Amino acid sequence: MRIHEYEAKNLFRESKIPVPRGDVATSPGEARGVAEEIGLPVTIKAQVLVGGRGKAGGIKFAEDLGQVEELSRKVLGMDIKGYKVGSVLVEEKLEVERELYLGVTIDGSRGCPIVMTSSEGGVEIEETARRHPKKIFSKEIRPFEDLRAYQARELAKKLGFGGKSMLQLARVISGLYQAFKNYDALIAEINPVVMTRGGEFVAADAVFQIDDSALFRHPDLGIKPEDRIPDELEREARKIGVSYVNMDGDIGLICSGAGLGMATMDMIREKMRPANFLETGGGMTRELMAGALRVVLKKPNLKAVFINIYGGINPIHEGAKGIVDVVREENVKIPIVAKALGNLQEETWETLESAGIKVVKETQTARAVEELFRAVEGRC
Amino acid sequence: MSILVKADTKVLVHGITGKIGSRQTKLMLDYGTRVVAGVTPGRGGEEVFGVPVYDSVNDAREEHSPDASLIFVPALFAKDTCFEAMEAGVRLIVLITEHIPVHDTMEIRAMANARGAVVIGPTTPGIIYPGKMKIGIMPGNMFCPGNVGLISRSGTLTYEIAGNLCDMGIGQSTAVGMGADPVVCTSLTQLLHMFEEDQETHLVAIVGEVGGTEEERAAEYIKKEMRKPVVAYIAGRSVPPGKRMGHAGAIVERGMGSAQSKVRALKEAGVEVAERPTEVTEVVKGILGEKYD
Repeated sequence: MRIHEYEAKNLFRESKIPVPRGDVATSPGEARGVAEEIGLPVTIKAQVLVGGRGKAGGIKFAEDLGQVEELSRKVLGMDIKGYKVGSVLVEEKLEVERELYLGVTIDGSRGCPIVMTSSEGGVEIEETARRHPKKIFSKEIRPFEDLRAYQARELAKKLGFGGKSMLQLARVISGLYQAFKNYDALIAEINPVVMTRGGEFVAADAVFQIDDSALFRHPDLGIKPEDRIPDELEREARKIGVSYVNMDGDIGLICSGAGLGMATMDMIREKMRPANFLETGGGMTRELMAGALRVVLKKPNLKAVFINIYGGINPIHEGAKGIVDVVREENVKIPIVAKALGNLQEETWETLESAGIKVVKETQTARAVEELFRAVEGRC
Repeated sequence: MSILVKADTKVLVHGITGKIGSRQTKLMLDYGTRVVAGVTPGRGGEEVFGVPVYDSVNDAREEHSPDASLIFVPALFAKDTCFEAMEAGVRLIVLITEHIPVHDTMEIRAMANARGAVVIGPTTPGIIYPGKMKIGIMPGNMFCPGNVGLISRSGTLTYEIAGNLCDMGIGQSTAVGMGADPVVCTSLTQLLHMFEEDQETHLVAIVGEVGGTEEERAAEYIKKEMRKPVVAYIAGRSVPPGKRMGHAGAIVERGMGSAQSKVRALKEAGVEVAERPTEVTEVVKGILGEKYD
């Protein structure tokens, strides 16, 4: 779960990372108030949970208070990649001497955090890795060990800093690692770290992604992931406890595993377009399955629903009852094609067939998808 | 033979008194697994389908000296449970639990390395030695004994592909779910190495999916070290970037983890990559030859 820049900067303050003076505002009047307090000129930045806001026009500079109000009004209410801008961060405009990159992320293959630094600030680290790999200096951190102060100093030194600058930058690097660790982050990134004309290092931007699975350890942050999902159906699915991704097609999809779901989606895509991806995970119940089908059916202009489930950890015979409940309740008219295998498959088939659902009993999803194609084309 | 387990591996089930733990214990006993004991703190002295329950791994160890731990406890307790099992000397841990914080997984993995234990998972369906035993949640009826080593990131897709293989009379030596989180405790490369050493395995099938760089790393190993043929299928060609597809690790982001990149790396390493799950069977059949006609 990505958090807002202003929220991340609050975490940075806790870790003693210098951030620009400023505050968040939800109206042009509030933005003006912030600017009055910190002084002009200011930067006005859209607070959205997605990258690329600069290119989308979500970052503005204001020289006077009138401009602050005018530009804030423009940015507030903007739509950036499906995210509505509900607040702006009004900050002092920094006097930039140099820009650096600083990030902590997880190396999945090595299974450890990795601190990355580069003298190329303001550029995506992936691009630097492609174009100037020698300008990246990184350090893997062993679990159970922290980033040591001397290691942070070594990184600062490799970036070309000495004396007090080296010490100050090393403190920023250590602070970022601490914030990453304390808040179960997957990514903590400052891009750029600005070295001001006065020689201070300041976190000009902040990207911070917290592990969804660890949010329970951070109730103090008050983050409810379901409140931060812009898509209505995705939000609703999250409340039920299933993974749903809204897509642009017209074939509804319910699967009991992510890999199976992706494979099924790939196969449907050969001829038709999925309306969604939905994966139940391992906690299937009658209610969960009913809820999942209800969410899928909310998508307008559906042509059919395809269900592909396995009885491993999931009691599919219970799930089938939930499907049938909804089919009867909502008097579903579009074809539903289901493939269900594993523990208690016969009972599951019987339940599904009792509601007129076409059940494919073969192992191959490809066969079941062909059945789906026939069911849809037969209706055209 | 098989990798990781033997027919008589003694299994300890953590969280055995829970709804899932008890149901899966019954299914494992029916399949032939030697489930020797269970652990649920505070429930010592009870029985689940005739299996004695203990308060701690140490208590269970004295009576039963288990070889492997199967973990069903909630994510919040998973790290502690893994540490308890490892410190009591259990050398194989199958971690079924989903949604374990990644920072915890990194510590579990580091502890396993330090203690010489093997942890499979998290978010794995487990390990099955078809026809003999299983430590996990996979439906036994989808698997059959044979010579294909099967490694998968996804549970349900493993069942599908094993089922397809069995329909054609092609069995599996061992099937292992490596787990679907951004960090797993045993890598694809490590599992490939085990199958490379296993005499009963004639061919290895990899079922990958989008996210991370495990397949790309494995491709390097296959190219340099493997002599047995490898077949792969990668799920998620039509996945939009930036969207997490159910599994915590299944996301194409920052230009990494696309199906295309994995397919390319594996093909360059000489791996035959199937376009659909069904094709895995055809490719395997082609390589193993007439023996299976």
